Amino acid sequence: MLDFDAIVVGSGISGGWVAKELCERGLKVCVLERGADLNMNEDYSDNLDPWERQHFDRPKPDEAKSVYVVQSTSYAFKESNKHLWIKDSDQPYEVSEKTNFKWRRGNRVGGRSLLWGRASFRLAPHDFEANKLDGHGVDWPVRYGDIAPWYDRVEKFVGIAGNNDGLTQLPGGDNYLPPFDLTCAEQAVKNEMAKNFPDRDLIIARVANLKRLTEEQRALGRGQCQARNKCFHGCSYGAYFSSNSATIPAAERTGNLTLISNAIVTKMNYDAETKRVSSVDIIDSKTRETRRYSSKIIFLNASTVGSAMILLNSISEEFPSGLANTSDQVGRNFMDHVGGVWVEARVPGHKDEYVYGRRPTNAYIPRFRNFPEQQEPYMRGFAYQVYSGRSGAGGWRQGIGKDFKAANRTPGDWRIVLDAFGEILPHQDNRVTLHKSKTDKWGQPIAVIDAPMRDNEIALMKAAQKDAVDILTKTGCQDINPGKTPNDDGTNLGRRTHEMGTIRMGRDPKTSVLNGWNQAHDVPNLFVTDGSFMTSSAVQNPSLSYMAFSARAAHYAADLMQAGAL
Amino acid sequence: MDKLMMQRRDAIKSLLAISAASALAACTGKTEGGEAKPAASASLKYASEGNFLNAYEMALVAALAQTIIPKTDTAGAIEAGVPAAIQGLASEWGDDNFRKYTRAGLLALDKYFKSVGGQAFADQSEKQRESLLSKYDADVFGGKVKDDFYRNFKSTVATAYYMSEPGASEELIYEAVPGDWKGCVPFSEIGRTWAT
Repeated sequence: MLDFDAIVVGSGISGGWVAKELCERGLKVCVLERGADLNMNEDYSDNLDPWERQHFDRPKPDEAKSVYVVQSTSYAFKESNKHLWIKDSDQPYEVSEKTNFKWRRGNRVGGRSLLWGRASFRLAPHDFEANKLDGHGVDWPVRYGDIAPWYDRVEKFVGIAGNNDGLTQLPGGDNYLPPFDLTCAEQAVKNEMAKNFPDRDLIIARVANLKRLTEEQRALGRGQCQARNKCFHGCSYGAYFSSNSATIPAAERTGNLTLISNAIVTKMNYDAETKRVSSVDIIDSKTRETRRYSSKIIFLNASTVGSAMILLNSISEEFPSGLANTSDQVGRNFMDHVGGVWVEARVPGHKDEYVYGRRPTNAYIPRFRNFPEQQEPYMRGFAYQVYSGRSGAGGWRQGIGKDFKAANRTPGDWRIVLDAFGEILPHQDNRVTLHKSKTDKWGQPIAVIDAPMRDNEIALMKAAQKDAVDILTKTGCQDINPGKTPNDDGTNLGRRTHEMGTIRMGRDPKTSVLNGWNQAHDVPNLFVTDGSFMTSSAVQNPSLSYMAFSARAAHYAADLMQAGAL
Repeated sequence: MDKLMMQRRDAIKSLLAISAASALAACTGKTEGGEAKPAASASLKYASEGNFLNAYEMALVAALAQTIIPKTDTAGAIEAGVPAAIQGLASEWGDDNFRKYTRAGLLALDKYFKSVGGQAFADQSEKQRESLLSKYDADVFGGKVKDDFYRNFKSTVATAYYMSEPGASEELIYEAVPGDWKGCVPFSEIGRTWAT
């Protein structure tokens, strides 16, 4: 009678996980993806040498200003991978006066899992307690212990290179692949930090690149990381984790997966008799044909903004303000990570040392403020992504001719950068809503974002800048450039592409949309496991948490179905 | 320095005058001052189909590029295809602002080197080019002369060269597939700057 056991809306990093787990549990699963099919042979651009990349692989200014005005502001946007990004002209949205939100989004099967930075950190026990302790937002309905086994499970399948590190504020797993090395400069700063800052450490990031291949990953057709650092072009080796390299192939080999691309989900239909969501409506982005698909359970994984828009657009007599929205929390508490602090310095010495290969990740200074106790005037904390290397050949130096060529044959000084990522507090008024009259080219209401940076975010970044200068100074770095002051344009939502919170979990159906199993309080066969479920943002790059919660919710839903409860 | 700035302003003015004359029949836009000016696209003449920089400008580009990066035991800028890459940026990649900026900058450099060298830079002897450009480069990088166009041009020449096949794999060192990463090795084991 029904088309499928389960529908998953979105094939990105969380939807891919849901599809894999449900398919492996024997459910017939349909994934609806608004983007187009991806053909690795045609769509990946990782095998081009620099001289095969036209115009230094920079997007054409005319096209960047018209078609890709938002997307092209991402560091990962290149001329040769632009087809993996949504065209801004296809996705208009509005922002309030004080909001400078940049909505970067994938446009292919796999979504942003093709384009992510691959840092894979767990939230810590104190992150799940933060809201309860300081009263911002609502309490997470789960604790670290509930999620830890699922972190273990996804880390093993994903394949994460890194160390356990033994840090309370950044718990590690037991299934890591060997880590990428620190550079000489990072090691030098780490050594000096140990002497000057007993509460702080510099570690190599934990990253979803296969430093070593296991049988589990080989069976999926994945290959070992070749240290090319071409990840944003797609990886022909399948060496970094994406839906395309890992979860979709795993789901496909069960024979239970139906993947439908070019399918823009516009709304979900609620059946008042069964008190269940019964089907979803789509528009085919190519043919403009509308279709309806039905299933027993539905997972929403359309991204933090996209999923909120679908719920808000799913109006019924029972849910006049949007499906599963009796709490009025859908679209609220919109978060990202706050950035905008970039402190750079020269690391003296080590001129007789260099690197081999191109590391597809960076180093990391885990959070140290307001941990384990609240001590600062601001709430929560921040961490730093750390980049380093010797400067390369270029025309920025004086001189011409033979001498210029000779000078460029030797790499320059070691440089190091501390790039802060701060926690954004959940705020009820940071909102995604639907525009009352404006629509996109498919006739769907466009998003309106009202989510300015608030006092705590600015205070965090000011502290992060001061601490970065302090760390670099006391570890012997020189020529420190503190960068811009942290309340200017660089500090805004969407800069980090870590959108979260618009369909949050909580204990109370009056103040949250989802329960501790990512299940809608109002609609028992509806689950949401993309970043929108996050009750607080913490400071860690969040994708690994989406994966762990997705796997957990999928098994919970499959258990309920087997028990006949759904 | 003042003289140079005057020359650059003159060059830009004469460029605008030419384009204004050529665009009388074209649609017009407004400048910031509200004065009618030719729409940008009409002011930008292509020398031949698909090529924005004309033969004279390209001779200057090639001469500057090859003086910055001459042929040694490895390819120079011309052998590495740098002038073609710069033509590609101006003709296929850039927008009208970039094209205008490029033409005006080149014209200013042309005028300067004519004034100090007695003839077009491209017609000067290799020795004279080296000596004049070396001095000018030192003036710009030493802060005596402000010329952001020259800095950008030089940077583009270097990028085009070091991303070219001979620039990356013969002058510097390039591994398409390193296979592994080592974060701290003796420089002597690598020997040269990585191209990327």
